[in-house]
Amino acid sequence: MAVCIAVIAKENYPLYIRSVATQNELKFHYTVHTSLDVVEEKISSVGKALGDQRELYLGLLYPTEDYKMFRKLHNSFTDVMCNPFYNPGDPIQSKAFNGVVSGMMVQTG
Amino acid sequence: MSIPDYMQCAEDHQTVLVVVQPVGIVPEDQFFRIYKRIASVRQLSIRDSQRLLFIRYRHHYLPENNEWGDFQTHRKVVGLIAVTTCSSSRDWPHTADRFHAQKEVYSSTLYDSRLLVFGLQGEIAEQSRPDMVFYPSFEECSDVERRVEDFVESIFIVLESKRLDRATDKSGDKIPLLCVPFEKKDFVGLDTDSRHYKKRSQGRMRKHVGDLCLQAGMLQDALVHYHMAVELLRAVNDFLWLGGALEGLCSASVIFHYPGGTAGKAAGCKPSVCQPADAGKRHRPGGSQNVVDFCSGYAINDVSKRRSQTFSPFMSKDEICEEIKELTQERQQLSEEEKIQRYSILSELYELIGFHRKSAFFKRVAAMQCVAPTISEPGWRACYKLLLETLPGYSLSLDPKDFSKGTHRGWAAVQMRLLHELVYASRRMGNPALSVRHLSFLLQTMLDFLSDQEKKEVTQSLENYTSKCPGGMEIITLPDGLTLPPVPFTKLPIVRSVKLLNLPVSLQPHKLKGVLEGNLSNASPFIYSPILMQSRGEERCKKIDFQWVQGDVCEVQLMVYNPMPYELRVENMGLLTSGVEFESLPAALFLPAESGLYPVTLVGVPRTAGNITVNGYHTSVFGVSSDCLLEDLVGVKASGCLVEVIPSLPRLQLSTSLPRSTHSSQATSKEELPSSVSVQLFNGELQQLTITLENIGSIDIETLELTSKNNNKGKNNKSCSVCVCCCSFFSFILSKRPLSTESVHQSDSKTLEAVLKFKYSGGAGKVEGYYRELSLGVHVNVEPSLFFTRVSTLPATSTRQCHLLLDIFNPTEHELTVSAKNNQDLVLHASECQRMAIQVDRFDFESLPQAGQQTPHLSSPKQLEEERQLAHGCQISSKLGICWSIISFRHGEASVEGVLNQLVLEHLQLAPLQWDVLLNGKPCDCDVVAECIVGDAVTLEVKLTNLSKNTVGPLALMVVPFQDYQNGVQNYDMDEAVTFIGSNIFCISTVKARDSSVCEGALMFLYTGDFYLNIRFQDDSARRGLPLAWFTLPSVHIRALDISTIKFF
Repeated sequence: MAVCIAVIAKENYPLYIRSVATQNELKFHYTVHTSLDVVEEKISSVGKALGDQRELYLGLLYPTEDYKMFRKLHNSFTDVMCNPFYNPGDPIQSKAFNGVVSGMMVQTG
Repeated sequence: MSIPDYMQCAEDHQTVLVVVQPVGIVPEDQFFRIYKRIASVRQLSIRDSQRLLFIRYRHHYLPENNEWGDFQTHRKVVGLIAVTTCSSSRDWPHTADRFHAQKEVYSSTLYDSRLLVFGLQGEIAEQSRPDMVFYPSFEECSDVERRVEDFVESIFIVLESKRLDRATDKSGDKIPLLCVPFEKKDFVGLDTDSRHYKKRSQGRMRKHVGDLCLQAGMLQDALVHYHMAVELLRAVNDFLWLGGALEGLCSASVIFHYPGGTAGKAAGCKPSVCQPADAGKRHRPGGSQNVVDFCSGYAINDVSKRRSQTFSPFMSKDEICEEIKELTQERQQLSEEEKIQRYSILSELYELIGFHRKSAFFKRVAAMQCVAPTISEPGWRACYKLLLETLPGYSLSLDPKDFSKGTHRGWAAVQMRLLHELVYASRRMGNPALSVRHLSFLLQTMLDFLSDQEKKEVTQSLENYTSKCPGGMEIITLPDGLTLPPVPFTKLPIVRSVKLLNLPVSLQPHKLKGVLEGNLSNASPFIYSPILMQSRGEERCKKIDFQWVQGDVCEVQLMVYNPMPYELRVENMGLLTSGVEFESLPAALFLPAESGLYPVTLVGVPRTAGNITVNGYHTSVFGVSSDCLLEDLVGVKASGCLVEVIPSLPRLQLSTSLPRSTHSSQATSKEELPSSVSVQLFNGELQQLTITLENIGSIDIETLELTSKNNNKGKNNKSCSVCVCCCSFFSFILSKRPLSTESVHQSDSKTLEAVLKFKYSGGAGKVEGYYRELSLGVHVNVEPSLFFTRVSTLPATSTRQCHLLLDIFNPTEHELTVSAKNNQDLVLHASECQRMAIQVDRFDFESLPQAGQQTPHLSSPKQLEEERQLAHGCQISSKLGICWSIISFRHGEASVEGVLNQLVLEHLQLAPLQWDVLLNGKPCDCDVVAECIVGDAVTLEVKLTNLSKNTVGPLALMVVPFQDYQNGVQNYDMDEAVTFIGSNIFCISTVKARDSSVCEGALMFLYTGDFYLNIRFQDDSARRGLPLAWFTLPSVHIRALDISTIKFF
């Protein structure tokens, strides 16, 4: 079901992006890129409403509970971040993370 | 089919639509002049009420759109103003027909019409007709505005009557069902009596009345009617009309709350307005219900657009997003132009709500639409323009500086795509300079994201473009004012460090000490202050502590590497400097693929003196020349870029007769010598070294100074001498330099080093107090030539001479010939030891100049003694003149200095008391046989010369004659043979220092024969404490001859 999974750095560039159909990759690039507008909107509205930025979880942009993929992905992402050899801001090149992502894609797609 | 009008806004709901059209042949400019005048009547206040009527003018309106007039009355053409020209009355009927035909087009909705006729005069013009106005020409039409007002007023009257007609509730009558065009066929055969149908008709009518009220300026009534319509229509699920009613309601609310208009939304927005927000919310279901209605594409497009535009301040962006999404649902086959328009509008809407990325996306789609393959004439220019507008959405700026710092901003994959499109569009536009600029930008900023294949492709196409249009550093300004800053290739190659290099040691300028101190004392009255030093240190951190010289080639070293997967050709690489006139000498280099750090030396010549700052470098890569400033570079280690350039100095070149050795002498020598001469010599050998100095600069050398310094590393350095003699033959323009001789005597040491320094200066640099130093190291490896293993003396027959016995050892591998002054040559084989005896005169050391006087600082007696011994040794060596030669090719001197011990020295020394014995006035010595005649008195004189510092004496000498039989028997009984005339004891009184005394006696030989005289001291008391050697008198050998024998001889 998942056709494209991307991890975006807070400076607005992709740390990781992977899609099922490689021939249509650019299209997904565009899709993910434009969807950042919504994220940005959420971030700015959170800041306004609560007055502080402590709450970093924006909630689900789309009801993906059906697939339970966020938790899995996030756990894997946390593992990547815990890697002492990973510099925050670098593109993610982790085998484990890659595996999790492809698992999600294969299982659903 | 209908065309959406994206220009509409909420206020348009309250306007009445009037179409102004030309009929027949009307010059366009004239028509638009009239149109403008007509359009100036935008609103009209109705005389007997507070109401306002707004008019919207169109000069072009599709009849298809007019058909939607029942749905929304503001889409209905209610008035027609036709403009026509008519020169003669003959044409008049024709013109009138045309006007009527035009009227026919809108006849179903038209309330009133007017015809403005220009140019017609005569009786037809005289006729007063209500719907026609005649003007003689376009110039004479002063009352057009008034006429239009009249016209509008008449429209209002019709409108008002219609409103009243519809508003009054005729419950008994059957209400006609209003339809939108596509509905008409659906309702054929519908049961018109059903309650549902009635409700629907009612609701639609309400809405229609609401529209009319709104147009007629009765806002409150309109709101009431709309509300009612909403209620009715919701009940019957008439979604399209419900949407229409809600839209009307919204518009009314907006108009009510923003009397100033919604055009400047942000300015007019009050946060407390809740009603429009509510309206908006209520509106939404209507909108989405609209979507359900598949056929209402036209309305939706239009409506959604307006809705989102109007309510953007109030609605949450999510909702608006939903709205806009509806817009994007494409249901109709639109023409390409419409598509472009639609995408542009979408983009604008997203921009409005702050969704820049989406906006950019749609703008890009619009741009691509401009050049879609289906279009016969692709609009590359428009496409390029639209693409440029998308840049901010993709967080791309065309200034490479924004990308040089920190991490990459934005979405590289998408940005790259966009840049490729820009390049392509600009190329198709026929502007190669632009494509070069974009392509260089792509290469510079996206280098990290390009794959190897892409890098190759991009550079290839860049080279293709630059072959036609070389890229430069100038700013490109587009016609619409956008400027494209230059793109310097700071990553091709990547520079890691920049280091200014000092001049070579021989060319480094030095400051004369005196001038320097003057500067320092001005800076601070204190000798030392830490605070001052600190601040000075900071200031100095950028300035480098060496100097460059005007006119000399200066070097800057860059460490570069090539990030490309293939060889990179960098041409015309040079330095960018400021502060001083600088002639950069560009270099070209080839960097291998993925090279590691690669040193590149850029050179240049400063033409004036002053402080020079190296700002950066310029390159030419792939035909794009770029100026890279150091401050823009990331991760560059620059150790300071400011250097002082001092006025020009002359240059001297040094050449030597002996080959130079490149190896630096040894690690212990602190200063690096630019050149040194290495010689291998046998001990005592002499080698001549000719140094030629040549002025290779253009500046005259005014002063030249030569100093030498010895670095002795041998254990024994007391016998080293480096003597440099210069006989100067020196012209000011070109100096041919003299010979310099160096002779080295060394006994034990293995190596010997000397440094010759030539200080020279001239020209403007000399005025500033600078000089240059040229130094030449002389490195001598000394090998032993011969050793004196033992030295001893043997007394010679004469008291003034002695034999020096030298045991000479030949440590070399060659045969060695040793010769001394007036002595035979001695041939020594390798590692052979032989003794050599040399007869030498004894030395009178006292007559030597006193060493102590020359070096008064050597105060300790030991040193004095050493010094003296050295002097003695020197003297002895020179006297001996021992030379050696190794078969025919090497020869040298040898010295005994080091090996002479005190005893030998004493033996070699001439005694301070000198005794001379004279017989008959002739001096006699050991080997000389004095002859005398038997029977004659022989005078014997003994002379004492006192060379010591003390007085000597008195002394008594006894002369004892004896005969030596040469067999070991000496006969002292000479009373019969020899008789003394007077005493046989000589008395010498006290002899003062440097004085002499003579005592005389006489004796007579009675027989012939060989006699010896032994002169002995009578008494030991006077000479006690003085060395025995001082009192050795020569023995006298006398041969007494018969007179006849002499005659015989």
